[in-house]
Amino acid sequence: MSDSIKRCVVTGLGLVCALGDDAASCAASAFSGKSGIKDVESFGTANCYSHKGAEVPLMDEQLCSSKYDRTTLLCIKAAGEALADSGLDLGKEDRRKIGVILGTCIGGAASIDKYYTDSHEGRPADSGDILRMPASAIANNVAVHFGLDGITANIVNACAAGTMSLAGACDMIRAGKADVFVAGGCDSFSSLAYAGFHALHALAEEACSPFNHSNGITLGEGSGVLIIESYEHAVARGAKIYCDVLGAGVSSDAYHITAPRPDGEGQMSAIRRAARNSGVDLSEIDYINAHGTGTSKNDEAEFLSLRTLFGNRPDLAVSSTKSMNGHCLGAAGSIEAVLTVEAMNRGEVPPTIGYSTEDIEALKEKSGGIGFVANEKQTKDVGIAMSNSFAFGGNNASIVFSGEPRVAARERNMDPVYITGIGEVTGTKAEGASGYTADISPEVFKQHGVKTAFLRKLDRFSELVLLSGIVALEDAGIKVDDTNADDIGIVIGTSDGPMTEIVNFQKLVIENGTENGSAFMFPNTVYNAAGGYLSIFTGIKGYNITIANGFQAGLQSVMYACETIRRGDGSIMLATGADEMTDVESELYGNAGYLGNGRDSGFELGEGSVTLILESSKSASERGSKKLAQIAGYGTARHSVAYGKAEGTGEALARAIEEAAADAGISASDIRTVYGFANGSKTLDEIFNEAVSKIWGNGIEVKNVRSECGEARAASAALSLARAAKEMETGEGEYSIALSYGAGGIYSAVVLKKA
Amino acid sequence: MNEEIAAKIKNMLVERLRIPEDELDYDSELFGEDIGLDSIDSIEIIVGLESLFGVDMSGSGKENFQSIRTLTKYVEEHKED
Repeated sequence: MSDSIKRCVVTGLGLVCALGDDAASCAASAFSGKSGIKDVESFGTANCYSHKGAEVPLMDEQLCSSKYDRTTLLCIKAAGEALADSGLDLGKEDRRKIGVILGTCIGGAASIDKYYTDSHEGRPADSGDILRMPASAIANNVAVHFGLDGITANIVNACAAGTMSLAGACDMIRAGKADVFVAGGCDSFSSLAYAGFHALHALAEEACSPFNHSNGITLGEGSGVLIIESYEHAVARGAKIYCDVLGAGVSSDAYHITAPRPDGEGQMSAIRRAARNSGVDLSEIDYINAHGTGTSKNDEAEFLSLRTLFGNRPDLAVSSTKSMNGHCLGAAGSIEAVLTVEAMNRGEVPPTIGYSTEDIEALKEKSGGIGFVANEKQTKDVGIAMSNSFAFGGNNASIVFSGEPRVAARERNMDPVYITGIGEVTGTKAEGASGYTADISPEVFKQHGVKTAFLRKLDRFSELVLLSGIVALEDAGIKVDDTNADDIGIVIGTSDGPMTEIVNFQKLVIENGTENGSAFMFPNTVYNAAGGYLSIFTGIKGYNITIANGFQAGLQSVMYACETIRRGDGSIMLATGADEMTDVESELYGNAGYLGNGRDSGFELGEGSVTLILESSKSASERGSKKLAQIAGYGTARHSVAYGKAEGTGEALARAIEEAAADAGISASDIRTVYGFANGSKTLDEIFNEAVSKIWGNGIEVKNVRSECGEARAASAALSLARAAKEMETGEGEYSIALSYGAGGIYSAVVLKKA
Repeated sequence: MNEEIAAKIKNMLVERLRIPEDELDYDSELFGEDIGLDSIDSIEIIVGLESLFGVDMSGSGKENFQSIRTLTKYVEEHKED
């Protein structure tokens, strides 16, 4: 059984970065080879060896009047432009079919800096800053600002996030979950990233010089947003269409947490996957907007990848626009996508700048006969363009845009997807303790073959994810080797990610100065480090994505993993929900006023990581896997409320349930057991009860894992589904459902069927 | 070997690089399979020793980074009192 792949088109562009405050002014600068790199002004760099940055010369208030973290504000600026450019009339559209998906690396780092600086300097810390910290808040903020009620997601795969979010938008449109996405990426300038790259000696002293002197990066900030919608929707409303987004490829290096594989294997795998999924031959690509950060390790690996795949193609134009607007981390891929679409639109290719005459001679040696564009734009018809992003954690992403549609390269395979293994790591509550802590001592890891040398690098969040991933693989009887490594992928959902490592890193920077960041801790401050370590330890080289989106991200990861299998980007997926609990999270949740007795005064915090192995029908039969349950259907619905505010009715939850049931081809009344999300927060519990009684009255069995593990956020959401699956295997019911809630009013529902 | 310097270095490695204290001897091979330090860790060691003893090890040979004992020796030889 299969579905044809829908066309996805770009209908609006928005951009803000050091080159300008809209797409036209940024493009005017980029195509004329103007640099936006100057001395850093956001914070002191007096004691640093580098002082360069590519900052947006607009104060927060100039970006947007609302009080959000600067990363959100940058995105609102770009999204506003993109929506206006698209001509979407929000008054006429079904806003429930317009989603927001954004990439970010550092999330609310500026607010984390402010909160702990206030505290360090004896000022009262603003509890409002707590809600501005997590990456989870950003897409919701943007959705609330523009009144959009479609699906949200924050893709937090560091420097590949801005490309992966665009791919994610297409995936969800093709899965029928939305008509339109505000898709892109955003990141603000931050002392966190500056101190981190400074500690790694990865900053260039002067402006970065990609594919040239390759002596480090220059950090930037900004946001690029594309309106991506189904072709049918765009045509129906008479939209102008810039281009098609054909397809994307994502891979894992399984090599090192910060350095790319020197042999370029992971990069080439992502590029090949993107071409395959787009139905294009590599020889058809006219322009590549390269990752081109300017570090020696990146540039050497990328030169090698490009030479290997595209050597002796003087007609192939390649450039790195980071030479002008710096490395904008989670925004980079989306900013580069906007410039790539501009290149197609203009019939011109932007240059990499900064080459002397001698440098250009040297470039000829290194380029392997590929037409690297140096210093000045090149006039060129760009019919098919590619944009590449490679990230910490060894995540690689590549996406293909085309001026002409293509015959669908593939179809969605609608054969059943099964849960064939589970790894549970959850906490228990010690006598007198205020939360549920997991036992993840080194001894536990040793039992699973994880040695000290590997384990000691990991922060707590990464430890949780690694352990549940390993246990799930063992449970499913999967051994990763050369024959299956490319076909196995990872999806991690989290509410708060590695917040402890982020906060502790930031505190040290506040105490010791931007020049004294910890090179050891910095790699763990990116949300996708956990997925990176899991890939490095296990050898998994396929799809790898981390989604930060409130508690429900633990179920959203399962939906995402299921879609990944359906569209053929993997046969086996590790779908994980994970969140850690240390003094940091306890303090932040406590100060924000959410904690209580777990019954009626607020929730009790927990931690954990739960991994479900999702497997295609074909793989499960070939391996003879034990099938715990089948993923029958799922639904997500939002009723926009401010991030962190629990309010609303059960209407959106009811919608998610109905959508999931319809997706499973059943009526909600066919469901026998519901795993709920009540956690002791009065409003949330009321929303849950209202929706459940509206749909089922008293005729359903309600279960809840939080009495066992506390509110372990994304881990509790994933655990709900894991428990439902285990019961399916032995129980009598034909269908069960797991429900979850995420801050900002997003509700998710996954229906399981007896396998 | 100066025990006081060695103990401070050991403590620094435990704190900065999360090496379990009970698995770290003065002769443990730091960049070997058991402890498994890499290039990022060596940056941290350089910063740590600079802040503890004012000794700059950047650019110094690999042999000095082998163990706590060789680090201690380097610090003893280059420390200005």
